[in-house]
Amino acid sequence: MENKVVLDTFVKETGGYVASQLEACTRCGICAEACHFYEATGNPEFSPVWKIELLKRAYEQRFTLSGKIKLALGIDKKITEEDILHFSKIVYEACTMCNKCSMVCPMGIQLGPLIHEVRAGLSNAGVVPADLMAAVNKQVEEGSPLGVTDDVFENRMEWVADEWEVDLPMDVKGADTLVVFSSIEIMKFPENIAAIAKILNKAGEKWTLSKKAREVVNFGFYEGSLERTKMFLQRVFDGAMDLGVKKIVVTECGHAYDAMRWTSYNIMDVPKGIEITHIVGLMGEYVRSGKIKLKEGAFNDGIVTFHDACKIQRRGGHIKEPREILNILAPKTFKEMSPNKEESVCCGGGGGVIAIKEADPIRYAAFELKIDQMKKVGAEMVVMSCSNCRLQFTDCVQHFNLDVKVAGLSQMVADSLVE
Amino acid sequence: MNWTNVLEFARGPFFKVALLVFVGGMVYRLVRIILLGWHKDLVPAKGSKVVGAFKSFLKGILIWPFIPWVKNTFKRNPLIYIAGGLFHLGLFVVLVLGTAHMLVWKSLLGFGWATLPLPIVDWMAAVTIVVMIMLFINRLINPVLKLISGPAEWLNLLFVFLPMVTGYIMTHHLWFRYEVLYSLHMLAVDVLLIWIPLSRISHFMFYFFSKAIHGADFGKRAVEP
Repeated sequence: MENKVVLDTFVKETGGYVASQLEACTRCGICAEACHFYEATGNPEFSPVWKIELLKRAYEQRFTLSGKIKLALGIDKKITEEDILHFSKIVYEACTMCNKCSMVCPMGIQLGPLIHEVRAGLSNAGVVPADLMAAVNKQVEEGSPLGVTDDVFENRMEWVADEWEVDLPMDVKGADTLVVFSSIEIMKFPENIAAIAKILNKAGEKWTLSKKAREVVNFGFYEGSLERTKMFLQRVFDGAMDLGVKKIVVTECGHAYDAMRWTSYNIMDVPKGIEITHIVGLMGEYVRSGKIKLKEGAFNDGIVTFHDACKIQRRGGHIKEPREILNILAPKTFKEMSPNKEESVCCGGGGGVIAIKEADPIRYAAFELKIDQMKKVGAEMVVMSCSNCRLQFTDCVQHFNLDVKVAGLSQMVADSLVE
Repeated sequence: MNWTNVLEFARGPFFKVALLVFVGGMVYRLVRIILLGWHKDLVPAKGSKVVGAFKSFLKGILIWPFIPWVKNTFKRNPLIYIAGGLFHLGLFVVLVLGTAHMLVWKSLLGFGWATLPLPIVDWMAAVTIVVMIMLFINRLINPVLKLISGPAEWLNLLFVFLPMVTGYIMTHHLWFRYEVLYSLHMLAVDVLLIWIPLSRISHFMFYFFSKAIHGADFGKRAVEP
């Protein structure tokens, strides 16, 4: 009965926003060329327009006269269980929800958000790839997909504080700013935590970590489950309210930022008077206002390029800050890949794709577009502001045996603070 | 068969019915979409939604359809992209800036406007027909378009192609008697008018929805749409 659940979700979710955009599609197929998975594999089923096929069919058959007639006459096929299993593979394994397709669509259709609706239907029906679902369940049970439990979090933070000799304020009531890291940073890039702490301390920010809100990653959002998206957001908001902070800073995690900054307000009660921002935005602010000073030309010895993360730059709006910072750190060696900024090509690991083992071949294939871009500017170092991208870059640099250094922006900033 | 009678029918009662179906159908679809309900967006904006939507329309109309490399994406077949742009430009020139069509508008609306000289309109019509053939071939061979094209997509092309071709032959007085061509042209137009509200050719109306949504979504994040 999964197909029934999927259909019902689609019907429930379909308002003017979804319907008017589905109606606007002219079936021109131009979106295909914007998709890194289609470009890398040539598989027409990876074209964005095909990823919303289920939603489109459900809409036509349930809402429109011509759709009902076509269904009755047998011209249109009913959505079957097989369809649902088939599309589950496509929308979870071959889409990072990067929304580049919406940039090229002549009608401006927001394909990313529409594909998110497709995922919502599939997730309600329980047709989510096993690897991704395992991570979601782990976050439900343990509070983190990577096993960052209370104990692990505490130990890890103590170790970071020791190892890098930084002050990591924990559960400080009355602090201004709550900083929430992603589990990727906690488990795989702990140097990022030290770097961000160093920057915040230098800027004189009254900040704190929270044991309750210890993890910002939102695998429910990857999955498309409204209920679990809210559950994970609520944990962070609860932590923030307990400490009475005025600001929540999401660190280098893209999907979490999209969920918290650009989605939460429309799906749940967000505590009033709390500003939500991203660490890149905050660093930009510090540099502009002079709260921190950076060594000019600190990275002037090799070509440096910046990878725009879909959820922090294109969908997050922090496009200028990284460039302002890099123009200070590497004025002579900073080179832009093409296309860049809001038109950038996705790394291929976001949207939960990197968590699904079966998607590995196409994930690597999609990264070859990125390799091409990096080679064209002769990059020796590639910088980004998203840990999920960084995980993909680190993995792929190893897989393809590339001679490129992968770095986080916060780390570069921390390394070049003027004392 | 008496072609004069056919012509009278095609430009008389049939045209009126077709026009009625067209207008009624489009209004029905517009109202239905609006009544589906719209969530209020509660997300605090970083930039201006209105500015975003405005830019989105401006880019869409002025720059976008003709310059594929603006978005650095269409390296493989920029021609098809330009063809799409030229097709729409051609339609606009022929339908709005051609004298014969302006007179039809005048009879319907009660006022007219300045038009382009016939040779220009004629050349644009020829270009439009050529790019339609290109787009047709592209739909036949492109793997993505093969996957997503059903009967409706082929009928869309056919029903737009017929009035264009009959109109072109008619203005050049080729092969058939004028009345015959004029009748065929009007019949094709009538069929097209009835087909539009049933098909995705109606995208010219939903364009304003999707482009505004796109622009607002980007504008609110302070990102160029």
